Amino acid sequence: MTVLKTSLRNFFAHKGRMALSAVAVLLSVAFVCGTLVFTDTMNTTFDKLFAVTASDVTVSPKSAGADDDGAGTGRPAALPAATVEKVAAVDGVRKAQGAVSSMNVTVVNSENKNVGSSTGAPTIAGNWTDSDLKSMEIGSGRAPRGPTEVMVDADTADKHGLALGDELRTIAATGDIRARIVGIVTWKVTNPGAAVVFFDTATAQRTLLGATGRFTQVSVTAADGVSDARLKKDVAQALGGAYKVQTAKENADENRQDVGAFMDVIKYAMLGFAGIAFLVGIFLIINTFSMLVAQRTREIGLMRAIGSSRRQVNRSVLAEALLLGIIGSVLGVGAGVGIAVGLMKLMSLAGMNLSTGDLTVKATTPVVGMVLGVVVTVLAAYLPARRAGKVSPMAALRDAGTPADGRAGWVRALIGLVLTGAGGAALFAAAGADKASDGALMLGAGVVLSLIGFVVIGPLLAGGVVRVISAVLLRAFGPVGRMAERNALRNPRRTGATGAALMIGLALVACLSVVGSSMVASATSELDKSVGADYIVMAQQQRIVPQAEKAIERTPGLAHVTRYKVVDATLTSPDGRTDDTGVTAADPTYAEDLRRTTTQGTLSAAYGKDAMSVGSDYAEKYGVKVGDTLSVAFKGGGTAKLKVAAITDDETSIDQGARYLSIETLRRYVPADRIPQNMIMFAKAEDGQEAAAYTALKKALADYPQYQVRDQTDYKEELKNQVGQLLNMVYGLLALAIIVAVLGVVNTLALSVVERTREIGLMRAIGLSRRQLRRMIRMESVVIALFGALLGLGLGMGWGATAQKLLALEGLNVLDIPWPTIIGVFIGSAFVGLFAALVPAFRAGRMNVLNAIATE
Amino acid sequence: MTSAVTIPRHGGTGERTAVAARARQVVKAYGSGETRVVALDHVDVDIARGRFTAIMGPSGSGKSTLMHCLAGLDTVTSGRIHLDETEITGLKDKKLTRLRRDRIGFIFQAFNLLPTLNAIENITLPMDIAGRKPDKAWLGRVVDTVGLSERLKHRPTQLSGGQQQRVAVARALAARPEIIFGDEPTGNLDSRAGAEVLGFLRRSVDELGQTIVMVTHDPVAASYADRVLYLADGRIVDEMHRPTAEAVLDRMKDFDARGRTS
Repeated sequence: MTVLKTSLRNFFAHKGRMALSAVAVLLSVAFVCGTLVFTDTMNTTFDKLFAVTASDVTVSPKSAGADDDGAGTGRPAALPAATVEKVAAVDGVRKAQGAVSSMNVTVVNSENKNVGSSTGAPTIAGNWTDSDLKSMEIGSGRAPRGPTEVMVDADTADKHGLALGDELRTIAATGDIRARIVGIVTWKVTNPGAAVVFFDTATAQRTLLGATGRFTQVSVTAADGVSDARLKKDVAQALGGAYKVQTAKENADENRQDVGAFMDVIKYAMLGFAGIAFLVGIFLIINTFSMLVAQRTREIGLMRAIGSSRRQVNRSVLAEALLLGIIGSVLGVGAGVGIAVGLMKLMSLAGMNLSTGDLTVKATTPVVGMVLGVVVTVLAAYLPARRAGKVSPMAALRDAGTPADGRAGWVRALIGLVLTGAGGAALFAAAGADKASDGALMLGAGVVLSLIGFVVIGPLLAGGVVRVISAVLLRAFGPVGRMAERNALRNPRRTGATGAALMIGLALVACLSVVGSSMVASATSELDKSVGADYIVMAQQQRIVPQAEKAIERTPGLAHVTRYKVVDATLTSPDGRTDDTGVTAADPTYAEDLRRTTTQGTLSAAYGKDAMSVGSDYAEKYGVKVGDTLSVAFKGGGTAKLKVAAITDDETSIDQGARYLSIETLRRYVPADRIPQNMIMFAKAEDGQEAAAYTALKKALADYPQYQVRDQTDYKEELKNQVGQLLNMVYGLLALAIIVAVLGVVNTLALSVVERTREIGLMRAIGLSRRQLRRMIRMESVVIALFGALLGLGLGMGWGATAQKLLALEGLNVLDIPWPTIIGVFIGSAFVGLFAALVPAFRAGRMNVLNAIATE
Repeated sequence: MTSAVTIPRHGGTGERTAVAARARQVVKAYGSGETRVVALDHVDVDIARGRFTAIMGPSGSGKSTLMHCLAGLDTVTSGRIHLDETEITGLKDKKLTRLRRDRIGFIFQAFNLLPTLNAIENITLPMDIAGRKPDKAWLGRVVDTVGLSERLKHRPTQLSGGQQQRVAVARALAARPEIIFGDEPTGNLDSRAGAEVLGFLRRSVDELGQTIVMVTHDPVAASYADRVLYLADGRIVDEMHRPTAEAVLDRMKDFDARGRTS
């Protein structure tokens, strides 16, 4: 009881010193809880959406995606109208409605601007039926009738300023359709982002499926008293197993699974970053408790002298940690909900509709947050607590002074060196690995081991590194610089731990920046080496519709246009083994657009009649040579016997392992309406026409804003921007860990200032000016920050270079160290140090000289 | 009203006044209204140049406060303090700091040295902070005087308490300040080490012409001074020239007895 009382008193006596540790716990817990609440809320939103969009029972063609028939023709799989009648006749069916919907459309306004979602949510076109009234209502206007009328959802209308009477052009696989907006529908639940347009049934069938009398699904409503499961059984029986029949729940579950998988990726990525922040926070907590214990050595000695056991002392420190953990976590859980709301607002800015009404805080969320926060805090405080328990009763009698803590010790050195050595060896092994999968494991082990190793030997490295940094930077500042250096050096363990916290975040930044810029450099060099095409046309997610293909082909000034299709097919090797990775069908000019080296045969021969090429890996695995015949079963078509005319070298990152054949050959075995749309198209300008052709091509595609046309320069630029954007996002998430690390620097300085009160008083008494004092603290801070940065950047670049060596197997051939980023981060760290010292330096400067001297 | 003002006289060189520091009507009070505590009550005092002055008094008499005010560490409620010709009352922190740095030396009871600096670095610290080069010959003489030449590279933790205080004395002397203030400089030392330190202070006055003001409650320490001022309840109540330990002790007992009977 007394122990608890002492802990409580100590805690509140030093609450200022605990504040930053509490903030660190708070931030990490808040990030975890925020992530959970945000993803749960998203899931709730989707659940509600899917619950209202699913009919009691749905009937759809088997093995078909929602957007496609699986062959890539851009038209969804359909079932005949007769099926609807058959279902309607089943007992217990109140109503069976044929529905048409396709996600393979692009909707543009009269200025050819895409009105679809900007957040990656789909654009859906369909027929308006009564069953849609379950999830939506017509807000203004009326339902569409005839081929020139369309209805659009209110969110999309709002976002793009669409009103009744405006014209929309819907680009579908079978052609464009222009229609006037006659109605605007409003969702009854939150629709996170999909853009929806409705036509009447005949128009939808013609536009989206290419023919009337067909539907993509049958929405079945049960009669009163008939359960979904019963109805499903009866409908399935009536149809004889030719179709997929689902209850509302199954349908919603399936949809949810698709979204859920995506949400899980987001969730675990964000939790990973929260984990890094926690890791960094541990250093801060360890430092805080170490310093508190050190400052309280005499007091603890007294407790021991009057009869407290080691365990009691130990427990009293842990009790403080427990209290800190609880306070930090409770605040963190609250802040987490705030973060979730903030994220939702952010998503709204990005064009996503989310309603705070759906805010979902599961019971497990606060529990997870609390447990994590408390357990991590208490674990982090364990080592300092144990050290407190070891304080001898004699400490009470010794002169106070600042406790010396130099004993970094050879045990630590040994452990650290062994770990670092093992980590280095693992990294070395990873760099030399023959197979990416083996190497990845070694890389992971190397990263973890070298990180721990660096953390362990950090205090030992601090001596040397700080001296070097000081020699370069601080000597110019004379005695103030020298004192800053000595102060940074006086407790290597503290400097080491503070620097290590910063090291973690910066190591990841350095590693990712090296990998990212190597990716760009490798892709650029590969493009230079092998791509001969002048222009590349492609969309983010969609294939190229025939009308856009024609527009490209009609463009003047082009020497040739290459179509490139990815076709689902199963290959059977001469010895009967199968492989269903598919084939690539292209025009023969593709051999000029992408220069591939062959290990056997010539690539142009592969575009001959009934000929093809395979990659060297495949050839090796299946023992295939030029001249062998493979059996190729095309999905949606026949089976062809094709002769291998070339084997391409797989040492490349573009089109690795692709099997080429000509579109002519494809046509011989697959009916015209089952031929997939183009994935990408390439074009080459006539000599001297490059600039004009580029402009003409852009103009030709102005009607199709979903496609981008790029020449090689723009393509490289785009690639660089994409990687840059991805890196920026990751840096943004790592910022959390770096903020916690900066708090750690502030914490260390603030506690050091308190610890050195008398020293500061003495120096002020003998004539150190406030400005000099503040400068001294700032420089100490800068040195600690640069120490962390140097270690982190070094370690990170090592990891990055290893990863590149490993990924060279996957075509990441060029190592590119982004020096501007690395140097920028290093210099930035110095400023971070200055920033971290602001408050501690200010407070030290304000200290009353007399009180400082008088402090006993 | 109390006074310990000597008639101003001129020193041997005749260039400077013989008073190194003077306080006039200095009042230092804490709090206000009923809780007001007067630590210094209209004190007048002159500190003679080239002399060793001891300030004595019981705990709470205001002797430390007086020293802090004279040294520019503390502000006064009213009155004026001059260091030589400079009025220090009313100076801003920046000027006060520079004044302490360039013109005053300090020896505290404990914690005089920075643990991160070795002995010689501690000794030259005030000059380093000021960006001045120490006078090599003078520094050598000071170091020799305090007998530390062998231990200049030692850190404070490697020195005994007496040695640490000698380093503090050396630091105070090294910059040749106009005046050195000692706040019970031997309070933490045994009598032998204390005698050593006091011997150095005495010699620095006699041989180097240093001005020293020392707060103490130890009659033996006070006996090293040229003049002893007695403080009680924030007033100067007596003074003694060329004191001996016995005389000081007797005078103290006297005050104690008077204090008890009154």
